[in-house]
Amino acid sequence: MAGLVLSSVKKRFGAVEVVGGVDLAVADGEFLVFVGPSGCGKSTLLRMIAGLERVSEGRIEIGGRDVTDEDPSKRGIAMVFQTYALYPHMTVAANMGFPLEMAGQPKREIDAKVAEAARVLRLEPFLERKPRELSGGQRQRVAIGRAIVRQPQVFLFDEPLSNLDAELRVGMRVEIARLHQALGATMVYVTHDQVEAMTLADRIAVLNAGRIEQVGAPLDLYEDPDNLFVAGFIGSPRMNILDADVVGSDGGDALVSMPRLGLEGVAAPCRGAAPPPGTAAKLGIRPEHVGGAEGATAMLAGTVTVVERLGGVAHVHVELADGSGFTIESREARRFQPGETARFGLDPRHLYLFDAATGRRV
Amino acid sequence: MRRSLAQNLVLALGLLVLAALVLLPFWWVASGSVKLPKEIIQRVPTMMPHSFTTQHFEKLFSSSDFPTYLVNSLLVALASTAATVALALPAAYAFFRMDFPGRAALYRAILLAYAFPGVVVLIPLYGLFSAAGLVDSRISLVIVNVAFALPFAIWMMRSFLASVPREIEEAALIDGAPVATILLRIMVPLIAPGIASVAVFAFIASWTEYLFASVLIVSDERRTIPVGFAGIIGQYQIDWGLLLAGATAATIPVVLLFALVGRWFVAGLTEGAVK
Repeated sequence: MAGLVLSSVKKRFGAVEVVGGVDLAVADGEFLVFVGPSGCGKSTLLRMIAGLERVSEGRIEIGGRDVTDEDPSKRGIAMVFQTYALYPHMTVAANMGFPLEMAGQPKREIDAKVAEAARVLRLEPFLERKPRELSGGQRQRVAIGRAIVRQPQVFLFDEPLSNLDAELRVGMRVEIARLHQALGATMVYVTHDQVEAMTLADRIAVLNAGRIEQVGAPLDLYEDPDNLFVAGFIGSPRMNILDADVVGSDGGDALVSMPRLGLEGVAAPCRGAAPPPGTAAKLGIRPEHVGGAEGATAMLAGTVTVVERLGGVAHVHVELADGSGFTIESREARRFQPGETARFGLDPRHLYLFDAATGRRV
Repeated sequence: MRRSLAQNLVLALGLLVLAALVLLPFWWVASGSVKLPKEIIQRVPTMMPHSFTTQHFEKLFSSSDFPTYLVNSLLVALASTAATVALALPAAYAFFRMDFPGRAALYRAILLAYAFPGVVVLIPLYGLFSAAGLVDSRISLVIVNVAFALPFAIWMMRSFLASVPREIEEAALIDGAPVATILLRIMVPLIAPGIASVAVFAFIASWTEYLFASVLIVSDERRTIPVGFAGIIGQYQIDWGLLLAGATAATIPVVLLFALVGRWFVAGLTEGAVK
């Protein structure tokens, strides 16, 4: 096993820079997830690590060895593709044994390793079948098996669960987590699904427009986002963002006003010194931190538009006085009816303040 | 989509007309080959043979040069087909996957071969083959057939290669397969229908080639069917029965080829590879 280091890695297609100077160190045995919206460069970054895309600038090290210009097969990586990429004319056993065959290993050894991987992935009954005779989940397990048999230093996963239906996805997610525990291997995983990212990762790197916005443990990103992008991207439903003006400070808190919503002097905690009065800001609060109006220091009211009842909780979508949307997570689903006016309070301990101009947390 | 009865009838009628257009000439030739000479040249032609004889075939195989022509044609066509496929496959893969200077320009340029009718290059080619001592050899025909089939074969093959999902090749690359292994062990099985199409194209092009075979081959024992058979049409008389029997016999290898490679013309070979 080995760690992975990316130093100022850039990728340009012609004049367009799709990955701009990524610096990142993945520890040995770590499960790192690249997450970000479509086109943010996460797959390109993974393909550069795999050696399937040339690095325009920068350096990639695996296990302390510079592999920037190394052939994919010599990097000590294995990759699981979104589309499985199985060899359709070969049996499951031949698919899984192919990398070992290419490495010139003796047949007996190949058979033993394939049998072991098949046991781990519960693929034993399917070894003589062709990929077309398998279900989507089984195919993806074969693809993972093909990666396992190589005993790579780093596993790369490119949105491996995107083609599976919701139920299978949950099952495979658990399977990948179990595999990581069992193998203790370094894994780099690309997804646009933040639930996958949150549940699987030791650390998440949030990418946006070819740059890393923030790297950290899932809960750190959730609880302590560095900027508006991360705050909005991590968490489902998304964090509510309101336009606000800084009007003063009170100790470590900034006092903000939202005149169009009828809120004055709401105290929002800051990371550092409060920004000067007059600064345009964005105030964020997660839907689960919106509570009842009774006794709240900051109250809002709006018209309920949609109530999504999920069982244990409900997501209540509200239109505020200024026309903006707002989401509340509530355990009292029956309290809300579309068309009615709802009043609720913001918990000041869970407010996030961002500079409106830069999007950075203040 | 469900079709109404009227739509089905119109469709069936259309197909019938098309089938008749294609099949009637074959029927005419094949049925004529077993008619007595008298019936063949009858003033009112018969669609269904009123007589039956194998005399034309007996004459074809026992007292004409047809067997020699057949062997020559088979040798030339099979060699041309094999060489065309063997060359088109790596060439198409290189055009498809490898980066080299002038790739796009060269790829377009290869079709220039079809800008000139064969007859234009006939004399220079004759000169070349003559200088190389290849006139009146079957090899010269193989070279010419391959040269003329190759550009289109490369184009066909490339489009079949492009139909294989990129990730399969990338997976093989990561698995450590060299380019030749990727081509032969991964791509070839996946584009088998494409290779079969190219083979059929090359075989038929060679099988029916007349112009070069008539000029480059001088001696009768090396002639192919199209040229050799043209000799049956004499200046003063035509043995129609023999001609029809020969034409029928000449289509048999092509029919056999289709039957043989037909099983490769199946869709869905990459099924299960990617989603």
